[in-house]
Amino acid sequence: MATPKRYSYHVEAGALELAERPRRFLEAFAAILRYGSYNLALDSYARMSAKCGRCASDCQLYQATGAPEDIPCHRSELLLRVYRRYFMQSGVVKARLFGGFTLTDHYLDEMAEAYFRCTACRRCKATCPLGMDHGLITHLARWILAEIGVTPRALVVSVREQLDGKTGNTSGIPLPALKDTCEFLEEELQDLYHVDIEYPFDVEGAEYVFFPAVSDYLMEADTLMGNAAVMHVTGASWTIGTGNYDGINYGLFYSDRMMERIVKNLVGEVHRLKGRKILIGECGHATRSAWYVPTFAGPDAPAVVNCLEYAHAMLEAGKIPLKAERIPERVTYHDPCNLARSGRITEQPREILKAICADYVEMTPNRTENYCCGGGGGTVSIDEIRPFRTRLMGKSKADQIRATGAQIVVSPCANCKKQLRELCEDNDLEDVEVMGVHDLLLRAIDFPDAGSPEDTP
Amino acid sequence: MNAWLHFARGPLFQAALAFMLLGLARLFALTLWEAGRTYHRAGDKSIPTRQVLRATLRWLVPAGRLRNRWPYSLTTLVFHVGAILVPLFLAGHIALWERGVGLSWPALPNAVATVLTLAVVAAAAAVVVLRAGSRASRPLSRFQDYALPVLIAVLFSAGFLVMHPAWSPVPAKATLLVHVLTGDLLIFLVPLTKLSHMILLPLTQLVSELAWHFPPDAGRRVAVALGKENEPI
Repeated sequence: MATPKRYSYHVEAGALELAERPRRFLEAFAAILRYGSYNLALDSYARMSAKCGRCASDCQLYQATGAPEDIPCHRSELLLRVYRRYFMQSGVVKARLFGGFTLTDHYLDEMAEAYFRCTACRRCKATCPLGMDHGLITHLARWILAEIGVTPRALVVSVREQLDGKTGNTSGIPLPALKDTCEFLEEELQDLYHVDIEYPFDVEGAEYVFFPAVSDYLMEADTLMGNAAVMHVTGASWTIGTGNYDGINYGLFYSDRMMERIVKNLVGEVHRLKGRKILIGECGHATRSAWYVPTFAGPDAPAVVNCLEYAHAMLEAGKIPLKAERIPERVTYHDPCNLARSGRITEQPREILKAICADYVEMTPNRTENYCCGGGGGTVSIDEIRPFRTRLMGKSKADQIRATGAQIVVSPCANCKKQLRELCEDNDLEDVEVMGVHDLLLRAIDFPDAGSPEDTP
Repeated sequence: MNAWLHFARGPLFQAALAFMLLGLARLFALTLWEAGRTYHRAGDKSIPTRQVLRATLRWLVPAGRLRNRWPYSLTTLVFHVGAILVPLFLAGHIALWERGVGLSWPALPNAVATVLTLAVVAAAAAVVVLRAGSRASRPLSRFQDYALPVLIAVLFSAGFLVMHPAWSPVPAKATLLVHVLTGDLLIFLVPLTKLSHMILLPLTQLVSELAWHFPPDAGRRVAVALGKENEPI
């Protein structure tokens, strides 16, 4: 059967080399089963999957398309079929006796398409009566596909720059440009809020070493000013490391092998600076992958704190002085899947927002049952699939936002924010503003050391 | 007929039961062993125990989870309640156990068992119809997804006729033979089909959680195994 040379996303040239792809896929699958943690789950799922289809009614993509191939259980079956046939004794015996399923290039292409039509948001995990985690299957399938070179180019290019490139970060921001940006942000803070706030670099022994999504330095000035403002008013000891200043970890989206290396680099920078804790900025997947620090760096590795946890704790302790007047616009909150699905970070941002907003409303469903923004699992970086992201995958989210009547959608995640902006543009929600929690917090802080506007040079 | 019945109730039943029990014990032991091995190799051994337990209990008793596709959910719940209670707590079955191995336990009133039996037959038929009629489950369905509810419907229908011979169009021994043979077949199929969820379900939430607990150097070892440790990205 002819193999399509293209997927809905761009790939690198190597992905189109078809020589012995099924064999190479199976070799990679075997190695991952041998050294990874997936064997247990695949074995259970392959045996007892009931094919009830309950997951379909909770999948936002299936809700939008109604296509059988978008049912989570159908997608998982693509990989489970390979597992049964090649890695379970019963499958091997059955194939010897009766023939049947054989892994082909065409089948690999079907998988390559299917597993990037899923954002691995893991919403369907809560719906499956048998506890199957379809997001786990997507995560694993993407890794195996990556080992035969099938990964969206946007993800590979970013990881290559981060691990092997000159700048060592996914956005390719050289250190002088980073320092210029921080100086600019310091000036902005002075101009707008009349405070002297410094972005500290390479402070040895700092309690917190700060790793935002590095794209924030290009796209999210207000979030970063909010981060610095919170650290400033709470008197925190923090620093940005010049050796590694990127919290992004696209390994989470396509390869545990890359994820492991990126997490270890993060820890290496904290050790270099003799820092004590990793402070992650407003980014869902950066936080979730940093939660893997104990996995890859052992129990003595530095603790991981998300900036929302930090700000919330400081607010509760009364260390963040707030202005009397609250933010008047109607504000709603989008839970990034990587923060909320596990239930780890759901209340902290809400309590911050309720403390500073006069008209805070929830979108429904929310928290652990939230809808994905539509750009999860790294798909937001794949510009060529924007219509898919905003019209199909993100349709439920656009409907949710519209129903709240909110003027501001807050989401503490660089990827969610990019996707939500594009989503609003493409779904007649142009008047809705998308921002981070710290953007709003910055507006609400009553700086005790603020000078008067006249003091500003 | 008598010889067939004797064979189906005796050696065949014993063989099927032994096959099921050994098969399920093997699955349970293998899963536990692999779970232990996964945990032992995990870099991060902190398991959110309470969350896992809560999810496990929630799905073992899924009464609160009926909103999602409620006709299907309610039907399958009724189906499961009857299919679990009647075989284990029917007075006639308990009498057989008592005669065979000297064990007995409290039984369901026969009237309740009859209602549950009919509910299982109706629910099994409904499961097939709902599965075939739903856009969300029809494309997923395999042979066993239709064959197992049909087999269970035949088994329970025959069981009903054994209990109520006046309703039976065929001789009582024939219905009994059908009941016993389909029962034997179903028992035999448990470890080989999705019915194995009867032993794996209590572990599945833990299994899903453990899969995310990677060994610390899995990536590096995979790279070495594939000869990619020095390959540029």
